[in-house]
Amino acid sequence: MSAPDVVTQHRAHVVQRPWSAGRTARVAVMVIAAALVLYPIIGFVAMAFRSQTGVQEGTDGFLGLAGVSIQHAIDNWKTLTAYGPRGGGLFQRWLLNSVIVSVSGAVLAVVTALPAGFAMARLRWRGRRFWLIVTLIAMAMPNTVLVIPIFLQVDAIGAVGQLWPVAVLMGFFPFGVYLSYIHFMTAMPHELVEAARVDGLGEGGTFFRVALPISKQAVALVTFFSFVANWTNFFLPLTLLTSSQQNKTLSIGLQEFIGASPLFNPTSAAGLTVKLWMPELAFATFISMLPLLVVFIAAQRFLIRGQTVGAVKG
Amino acid sequence: MTATTTLPAVAPAVRPRGRRHRLSSRETVGGWLLSAPYILLFLAAAAIPIVFAVWKSLQKPSTILRPQGGFGGLDAYKSAVTDYRFWDTFKNIGIVMAVWLPIMLIGVIGLALLIHASPGRFGSVMRFVYYIPGALSGIANFMLWVYLINPSISPISWLWTTLGETTIKDATNPFNVPFILAAMLFFQGVGTWVVIVNGGLNGLPEEVFEAGSLDGANAWQVAWHVKLPMIRPWIGYAALMNIAYGFQLFMEPYLLQQVSAGAMQTEYTPTQLTFAFAFTNRNLPAAAAMSVILLVVTLAIGVLTVFRSGLFGEKEAR
Repeated sequence: MSAPDVVTQHRAHVVQRPWSAGRTARVAVMVIAAALVLYPIIGFVAMAFRSQTGVQEGTDGFLGLAGVSIQHAIDNWKTLTAYGPRGGGLFQRWLLNSVIVSVSGAVLAVVTALPAGFAMARLRWRGRRFWLIVTLIAMAMPNTVLVIPIFLQVDAIGAVGQLWPVAVLMGFFPFGVYLSYIHFMTAMPHELVEAARVDGLGEGGTFFRVALPISKQAVALVTFFSFVANWTNFFLPLTLLTSSQQNKTLSIGLQEFIGASPLFNPTSAAGLTVKLWMPELAFATFISMLPLLVVFIAAQRFLIRGQTVGAVKG
Repeated sequence: MTATTTLPAVAPAVRPRGRRHRLSSRETVGGWLLSAPYILLFLAAAAIPIVFAVWKSLQKPSTILRPQGGFGGLDAYKSAVTDYRFWDTFKNIGIVMAVWLPIMLIGVIGLALLIHASPGRFGSVMRFVYYIPGALSGIANFMLWVYLINPSISPISWLWTTLGETTIKDATNPFNVPFILAAMLFFQGVGTWVVIVNGGLNGLPEEVFEAGSLDGANAWQVAWHVKLPMIRPWIGYAALMNIAYGFQLFMEPYLLQQVSAGAMQTEYTPTQLTFAFAFTNRNLPAAAAMSVILLVVTLAIGVLTVFRSGLFGEKEAR
């Protein structure tokens, strides 16, 4: 969005106030910040639709926008899919692996987080506070801290290089438990639990027949956040899957692309028939972003409703 | 888990008050059963690895002559701490955080206050725009930065020309690296935190700000004297979470090293050093010891976040 558009829109909404110096400064700062954010992103997305020839010759104009074409994107896709031993196909394989671990991890996260969140929000039991605090602390810690210990464990059972431990480990999602906890605290009044009890429902029955049907919002949010976290997870697949080229996920696959690019490693890339320059790398990244875009659009109405993130983190 | 030890400190606040009835054993069984799948995953993904790492860190590294290792006491900790790279890695993240945290906090607070002062479509469009880079998380953000820091293809090549740097190797010199890392982290994180802090601002009662403007304060004064002090808990929360993240820095320096053509040191951060112990030196006890050290640090930050940021507690402590 260009600056004049923004200004007119703004004016349309708040007509009564005059253009004071303070207000001009505020709008100017915000528009400049937005431009700083968008400038590199537009250039990077454009890069995915350019060709190495255009990049090298520097003929693509401002941000390379003049060199953008669908044909370049098709060529870049062909180059990427040709990467790998015996005629290529590694890129698609990695995409598939990412889908497998991210979806199974998200399903596992939903299945485990909702009942736990419900139990912590609406049942009185010994251990409730302990698990709540454990969940909060686990949530506040960056997950990379546990990766090496996890590697030692997975190594001890001889499962390094396999996809299933990655999916299972991604299923542990304390933030999802906290989201469900907040959901049941706010969306499910105590009276509803009491009523279910009066009707003779046990704890399990209350969860499945009363709590779950009103949990669409929580399911959507846990699925969304967990899928995004799994899809972009780097360190866990790096330690557990690097040893198996076929079983890599896309995030560490992209790392292999960087390693195979003549941009950074002319010597090792010289032996490869597939040349991955910046347009190919940008295109691979662009493809890796598409699933995130899809889940974002699918979850959008749930994300916007209420002050999700405020409620979530606060 | 260490979390147990923190319980007594807060326990008095949680005693059931008033109309609470006794814990029924049926509800206790129900609570445990419904939480069981999550607890199992917690054991598999956190508790067991931690216990295993602590045990492993007390072993001797296995060698060809002594494949079983055996009890080594605190040797692994000694070899981790006395490694020539150990203090350097902490110094490095210290420098990165010194550059990054102030920019991050000022950026987040500033943009959140600006958005809050801009009601209507303009404010929400801007908030969305600032959020976009947050969607480019992980390696996608890194790829974007590879494009930005490569002087020959960068859209900010004028900057590299000014600095006299013509290759990516020049650009990733030791002086630039903390700034590049700080920029990467800022770019990726700022939008999400703006949304969070803005959510906090939206949760505050309007009347307070209105009272401020009636007293003759202009928008900037209201922001500085009224709003800023009121969102202090969110600022503290953001600071603590980002410090914890900084301690764990791995992917960005790891990949930056990979593209730097040898300009950057291989073990730049503590987590990279852990990684090197495990995969380069094959000294698993040292890797475990290093993990335990980092775990203690981040756990302390985590406990601090939960109990001192003021954002959790009231609701959770009931």
